[in-house]
Amino acid sequence: MTTEAARRLTRSTLFHLVSMALAIAFLFPLLWALLNSFKSKSEANQQPPTWFPHSLSIANYRSLAGFDQGIGTYLTNSVLLAVLTVIGSVVVCVLGGYGFARFAFRGRTLLFAATLGILMVPYATILLPLYIVLGHLGLQNSLIGLALVLVMFQLPFGIYLMRNSFESVPRELEEAALVDGASSFGAMRHVSLRIVLPGVVTVALFSFLTSWNEYLAPLIFLNDGSKYTLPVMLVNIRYASYNIIDFGALQAGVVVAMMPCLLVYLLLQRFYVSGLVTGALRG
Amino acid sequence: MSLTTTRAGAEAPATGATARRSRGSAARRPFTGLLFVTPTAVIVAGLFLVPLAILVSMSFMDWPLLGTPQFDGLDNYRHLAHDNQFIGAITFTLLYTAITTVVLFAVAFVLVAVSNSPRRGARFYRTAFFLPYVVGTAAASTMWWVDSSDRLGIFNQALQAVHLTDKPVGFLDTPGKALFSVITLVTWKFVGFQMVVLLVGVQSIPGELYEAARVDGASTMQRLRYITLPGIKPTLALLTVLSVTGSLLAFDQFYVLTHGGPDNSTMTVVLALYNKAFQSYRLGDAAAEAVVLLVALILLNFVQLRLLRTKED
Amino acid sequence: MAINRWRLPVIGVVVALTVAACGGGGSKTSSSSNPDDGTQLTMWVRSATDQFSQRLVDAYNSSHKNHVALTIIPNDNYLTKVGAAAGSKSLPDILASDVVYSPNYTKQGLFQDISADVKALPFYPSIAQSHLKVASYDGKIYAVPHKLDSSVLFYNKDLFKQAGLDPEKAPANFTEMLADARKITALGHGITGFDLAGSCGGCGVYTLFPYAWAAGEQVLSDDGKKVMINTPAFKSIFTMYKQMSDEKLVDSSDKAQDGSTWPANFEAGKVGILPLGSPIVGDLLKQTKFKWGVAPLMAPDGSGTSTFIGGDVAGISATSKHRAQAWDFLKWTLEDNAQVEIIAKNGDLPGRTDLSGNKYTAADPRTKLIADGLKNGHTPFALPFGDLFNNPNGPWVATIRAALYGPGVDQALADGQSKIQAGLDAAN
Repeated sequence: MTTEAARRLTRSTLFHLVSMALAIAFLFPLLWALLNSFKSKSEANQQPPTWFPHSLSIANYRSLAGFDQGIGTYLTNSVLLAVLTVIGSVVVCVLGGYGFARFAFRGRTLLFAATLGILMVPYATILLPLYIVLGHLGLQNSLIGLALVLVMFQLPFGIYLMRNSFESVPRELEEAALVDGASSFGAMRHVSLRIVLPGVVTVALFSFLTSWNEYLAPLIFLNDGSKYTLPVMLVNIRYASYNIIDFGALQAGVVVAMMPCLLVYLLLQRFYVSGLVTGALRG
Repeated sequence: MSLTTTRAGAEAPATGATARRSRGSAARRPFTGLLFVTPTAVIVAGLFLVPLAILVSMSFMDWPLLGTPQFDGLDNYRHLAHDNQFIGAITFTLLYTAITTVVLFAVAFVLVAVSNSPRRGARFYRTAFFLPYVVGTAAASTMWWVDSSDRLGIFNQALQAVHLTDKPVGFLDTPGKALFSVITLVTWKFVGFQMVVLLVGVQSIPGELYEAARVDGASTMQRLRYITLPGIKPTLALLTVLSVTGSLLAFDQFYVLTHGGPDNSTMTVVLALYNKAFQSYRLGDAAAEAVVLLVALILLNFVQLRLLRTKED
Repeated sequence: MAINRWRLPVIGVVVALTVAACGGGGSKTSSSSNPDDGTQLTMWVRSATDQFSQRLVDAYNSSHKNHVALTIIPNDNYLTKVGAAAGSKSLPDILASDVVYSPNYTKQGLFQDISADVKALPFYPSIAQSHLKVASYDGKIYAVPHKLDSSVLFYNKDLFKQAGLDPEKAPANFTEMLADARKITALGHGITGFDLAGSCGGCGVYTLFPYAWAAGEQVLSDDGKKVMINTPAFKSIFTMYKQMSDEKLVDSSDKAQDGSTWPANFEAGKVGILPLGSPIVGDLLKQTKFKWGVAPLMAPDGSGTSTFIGGDVAGISATSKHRAQAWDFLKWTLEDNAQVEIIAKNGDLPGRTDLSGNKYTAADPRTKLIADGLKNGHTPFALPFGDLFNNPNGPWVATIRAALYGPGVDQALADGQSKIQAGLDAAN
């Protein structure tokens, strides 16, 4: 082996050692939650904790099934909320982003600034006024009302991203369609929308993550235990009857809550990066 | 957390949105444009501006949970000036923002170096660094709460296994350790996003520039100094704005992990006003604090944008 | 809320609120003959009482036409949830509350006055007076006991035996407590003699106040306007706790213990003496790892005993439109059958003194000891109690931490006294 090759090998080994150490550090809490969730009840609550399960058990998942309303209810609600939020965010952001990118109208700058302003309001403090408004709209204690609130919080990111994405599509592409008699909406749908698809996927991904993971908003805006979502269940396990916590069930709950996010992200990963490239970071 | 950052994800108006204001967009009928943005306008008005107006009006009232709100002028704002906890929270939040911004950038650069490598496995590493970002706050903080426990936590086990310590660390025992723990959690959870954004910025720099520099015999450091850094300047600006706004509004990470303790040493502004609203039920005072914070953020962002814009020119 | 109309923004909302608020709280007692008429009722409880409340609700639903829908809300966010709901008039029909927080709710007008109904009950005199007192304001009763619990000392008899102590003799004063804790800690293997929660205001209230009460001190005046913690009893209490901490007779994690995992070490069989309360009895009865005993919390010199009567109260919310039906549920929970066959049977304390000798509670000497101790117990009253004492950012937690880990007992108590008093003055 030449010295050059040897040096290359050393550097490569060093690179992978460092990178692997970092990767393990990042993945470790996720993996440990997964391992813990399959421990037996007594092992999961053992102190000090064990590294690997001595025996595999699904007892922790079984106790989730019977927790309060049962995990089925919470899962269903979470899925429903996610579907509503994703559809709502995508529709509003695609239309709005296109409107901001392609048209001039009175109040355009003002509306855009107001949309971005959503970022600057401390979330926790706007909850009460929002709740009052939802009450007057008859949307309290409803997944639809909650989804609308979550869509609202998605707007700054989504509108900004979609506007930039549409702006990056050459106008000439659409003009051909317009000349052929298509409406503005038709031109957008048939021509530009395909090109900005990565941006749309990114908006959908982010709104999915937000709605799936949001804790405070469902807790505040929903009043029926039977409408609560997974994160509320998780916190309820943590604050169970006088601090007698079932740590195994807690970790199983963590796994159920995070798995869909991990899977959806891994599936959509490639869209996500290119969506950011065209949408958020041009220039 | 996730919400703050996703919301923060849009905060990029600095980098050219205004510079590239669309050419001749007036060409099409404005009415059609209004139709497209109507859903946005309805939601922004109904669910943001109206609640915001209520919040502002609350700040001028003595607002009981039930019963009639009473106009009390500037009383709430006067209380605020004498509220030591609020003033302490401002100091702490600024400190936290400064540290977090620096740490996030430092770690993100290392991660970019790894995941931008042409070597095999770089893609895997990149995914690994990003995954904590997609795990929700409730799940992530619950995980960390268990992991950092002295009794049941694996972090102490791990540290003892490699002989870094021989007894439980007590991750939330002292103000210093509590702040360290929160920053570690925040870094673990959010640095992946920072890394991806930086990565996109780095990769958008034309490769020919590096080729030319290499031909000219520039060192790695020189290439970094004269090509990479200038090339990602807009990205850095965007990330700074994001990180500063997100950190100034920090809430969840402290609420879940430290509750502002020990000894109120990790009390952030938003945590303080959340407590005021929902622990003490002093809704008017809390609204006044929220309004002050909002105005401060608008001013700060305005100044930041101005500074960044002049630099670009 | 069935009738909701979209009104003009901002001013409309404010005006509407005002109007609604003026009209609120005035609902009259329904005079309908039978309140069990198939009404749908809603009830909120905090997660600390989840299974307890669920058992009551299930039993009521299966024997009545009315249906109570129970919503369990995480302890930590209960105040937030109630605050937000009250602000927009969407409170449930029946609202439970940690008993010490209830004065805050009664003052804010969240409950309806149920004095007449409560006083008409045949067993009115034997309803836990400590709870009724705290749930009353200006002579009116706003809530009744939902769940009763009581703080006591638990000890691990197996560890006592191993350490050469008499497992039938629980510590009866502070000197014995320290001596026992030292011997048990000396066993090693991660076993500690004692356990305390160094970052938990509620835990401190629950287990420290009784030592002072037992010594004849008052802690809070009856009207809740004066606090008295810079006293000889509190000096002894905190001096003893500081010794426990300084001599490492407690686990290192106790310093950051916010109450959320407090009983875990004792339940794992690793703690000799744990001051806590009746809620963990059910769990302890189920486990077979070790034998355990119960003793009352005592004065520093052992001259008396006392207990903190904690738990939850439940009332009818000011905005409920089903007052009669909600009362039907509350009344039912206080009657003999529910108190004995549901509550006592599961190892919990009945909310009525005349039932403390029921067959389930009397069957185990330990539960009987706890029930009998209630007569020496107190529930403190102060309008901002939760804000001053339970709040993790409040002055009481600061007092505990300053005494144990900060500048020392004397200064901590002096500072705490003035800060807590200032908080009381501001609220009254």
